Amino acid sequence: MISRELCQRVLQAAVATGADYAEIFTENTVNHAINMIANKVDAIKDTVIAGAAVRIYKGLRSVMASTVDTSEEGLLRCARQAADALGEGTAQMDIVLKERLFGDIHPVRIVPASVTNREKVAILKEGYFAAKDYSDQITQVTGTLLDVDHNILIANTEGLYAQDRQIRTRLSISAVAEVNGETQTGSYNPGRRMGLEMFETVIPSAVGIEAARQAVTMAGAGYCPAGVMPVAIDNGFGGVIFHEACGHSLEASSVAYGQSQFTGKLGQQIANEKVTAIDDGTIPGAWGSINIDDEGTPAKKNVLIENGVLKSYMVDKFNGRRMGMESTGNARRQSYSYTPTSRMTNTYIMPGQDKNEDIIASMEYGLYAKAMGGGSVNPVTGEFNFAVNEGYMVRNGKICEPVRGASLVGKGSDIIMNIDMVGTNLDLGQGMCGSSSGYIPTNVGQPLVRVSSITVGGR
Amino acid sequence: MDFNTFKQIVISKAQAMGIEEYELYYQAGQSTSVEAFQHEINEFSASTEGGVCFRCIVGGKMGYASTEDLSAAQAEAIVERAADNAAVLEAEEAVFLGEGGKTYQPLEMVSYDLPKTDELIAKTLQTQQALYDAHPQAVDGCQTSAFSQSMEIAICNSKGLDLHYTNNASGLVAAAVISDGQEMVNDYQIKVGKLDSIDSQALAEKAAHRAAGKLGGETVATGVYPVVFSPEAMSSLLSTYSGIFSSETAQKGLSKLSDKEGQVIASSAVTLIDDPFHKDNPMPINFDAEGSPTARKLVIESGTLNTLLYNLKTAAVAGKTTTGNASKAGYDAAVAIRPFTMYLAPGECTEEQLLEKAGNGIYINSLGGLHAGANPITGDFSLQSAGFLIEQGKKTVPVKSFTVAGNFYDLLKSITAVGSNMELPSAMGMTAFGSPSVLVAQLSIAGK
Repeated sequence: MISRELCQRVLQAAVATGADYAEIFTENTVNHAINMIANKVDAIKDTVIAGAAVRIYKGLRSVMASTVDTSEEGLLRCARQAADALGEGTAQMDIVLKERLFGDIHPVRIVPASVTNREKVAILKEGYFAAKDYSDQITQVTGTLLDVDHNILIANTEGLYAQDRQIRTRLSISAVAEVNGETQTGSYNPGRRMGLEMFETVIPSAVGIEAARQAVTMAGAGYCPAGVMPVAIDNGFGGVIFHEACGHSLEASSVAYGQSQFTGKLGQQIANEKVTAIDDGTIPGAWGSINIDDEGTPAKKNVLIENGVLKSYMVDKFNGRRMGMESTGNARRQSYSYTPTSRMTNTYIMPGQDKNEDIIASMEYGLYAKAMGGGSVNPVTGEFNFAVNEGYMVRNGKICEPVRGASLVGKGSDIIMNIDMVGTNLDLGQGMCGSSSGYIPTNVGQPLVRVSSITVGGR
Repeated sequence: MDFNTFKQIVISKAQAMGIEEYELYYQAGQSTSVEAFQHEINEFSASTEGGVCFRCIVGGKMGYASTEDLSAAQAEAIVERAADNAAVLEAEEAVFLGEGGKTYQPLEMVSYDLPKTDELIAKTLQTQQALYDAHPQAVDGCQTSAFSQSMEIAICNSKGLDLHYTNNASGLVAAAVISDGQEMVNDYQIKVGKLDSIDSQALAEKAAHRAAGKLGGETVATGVYPVVFSPEAMSSLLSTYSGIFSSETAQKGLSKLSDKEGQVIASSAVTLIDDPFHKDNPMPINFDAEGSPTARKLVIESGTLNTLLYNLKTAAVAGKTTTGNASKAGYDAAVAIRPFTMYLAPGECTEEQLLEKAGNGIYINSLGGLHAGANPITGDFSLQSAGFLIEQGKKTVPVKSFTVAGNFYDLLKSITAVGSNMELPSAMGMTAFGSPSVLVAQLSIAGK
């Protein structure tokens, strides 16, 4: 761990050419992933990520330099490299670092790195063989047990010196089923900001069974018809609709540069009044949770949209300067070698008043999307897409036969106006969100919602 | 410490533990980039990355461990961790360390000095001005950036393999945002090469022109249409499905091409090539991640699957020799299989002739959400698309917010004509995908 005294000297070197702010971020992370395929433990990936980055600002300019060399000499060289890139003037700043303890709202009981491979393999096998043994129709299963021990230290010229240890664990099972020569897949990937105690509440065999059930169900399904129709999207990972249709466009990294459909819309009605949306990095043990963000700002619960009115963006310190806004605790980076920017944590639509049965009953002809896959969005245009992994046709208010191969596309600003029924059963689903600052763990979430009209891609 | 000192500690530790077969894979890189917004440089970043992967065969299993921390303690720790990881592996396929080849094809890389920061800044600002000049409706979302990067790879093992590779590249990115006051649209273009030889005005104009072409798009009626994919769109689809040509995927039952070598899997218009030495790929390489020599190969020849892509392990399972396609997704990844420059060989028709053949249909030049809407195992896809209507053999109005759906295995069989306009869009790293425009007989379109 880098001492306060050394951090002070690195920061001093970083501001030597006139920067008005400097920050040092150091990281030591252990990633461990065990993979199974064809009923065997096939590979283990086991990596130590270690390095540091120095960032400086002057006005609306930012400079970052990163290095794998965390020796005193390496850090000072990195700071000088950043200062030289700014390349003007000479300056000195009084920097006095105070250690800050923000507490741990996500205490971990079983540190994965202290558990033997054999014990981890036993957890993975429980999930794996639950899928494999689910049905004779399951032809292949793949499984991964991932654990990450991410240790960060952040110091800046505002006097901050703080550390956080972010441990997370995830079990992913994917199954392939073949029914009458038709192949389909199913997967389930729960993860927590926890150690291996995660499996006291998430039962590994239930993960495997869910993946297999989905694969077998979809292998027997016909193709989803194409067209524009109402769609009911279930809770948990269904929240990917808000993440793609709206969440990315509320990140300062788009908003500050006029590259978002929601730039300049604070206080305006941008969503249906039934929609209240939250980004909350403080949910204990949740996949997207943090104690402090990657600029050292404590995680917060931010109301993004309240009854359809835009209340807040997700802001990091640097883009906050351009926008004249404070950080909302959303600065995140995959590792030291990425420049951090505003990103989501646990983002979800709050429960509403509509009963699930009323939502389905309201649909004369439409699609019920029970399980969603990933998606993407272009924040400039708001055009987004995401995949339906498990869908069912709805006719006359009743859920009918399963359909496969559906995707949903639309424009975010239209679709969040069309979320006109919101159920009560909020749940969260886990994803890895990729953007300019790399891949980070995020939760999406919602109760069952109805989108009154959306384009369904099928055939 | 440097890699060579670290390597000596690793080897001593491995020998002390009685490990006879081991390998070190080292990858390091440096990159610098500058980005401009509103005619000012607003971000500069410089990074130095690198890590070592140690793997060893213990009890017939291949254990891996990696680190970015080149300290003496980690040099010893990765050997212990790799051996510990090997101990729980169960896969029964025989595993191998490479002995390398007798000869390697010489590389004809055009080497150039990397641009200095001043040059990166000047080119970025010049390109930004060119973006604003390229279109009267260019707005302040426009961003440009220039970058330079260098990387090195070294592999050495207990079989005597000792290979080294370096590559330098620089490039330019132009991201245009165009607004007519009602609607905002965007596009970006990237070009890798010697910075002062990249035509920044042409790059900016292409980005701005392509963005502006999306203004005022209509929606298309749901139905089944002939589809012409642009080189960009077809390359992205090929990239998404390239895994089906991996023998590893096939041997695990995750590709429908297992047992299909020698059989017809595509229309006779389709020839698919994998070339590690393609002239437009800025990163040609003559050895793969196991140290085997790389080679150009026809994967599909006039519709017939000639060969899947192999590494040492999968070739042994199939009783074949490696095609030199071993690859690592990062320094710390297990050895898997990837193509180098994989592209559909160009045909005879111009794009205009493909449009004429299509008659009335859809021209698709952009596909979105490929990681989600395309299932690499089943081949099914349903993808967000943008492009133009084809009416009476000509591109007419822009269309957007629709999806194209089909199955990649079926699509290969229903390519009725291939254009002569082969491109390798955004070739950046060791793996790149390319295609000419192609005409597909019919696909499902979901619009209004």
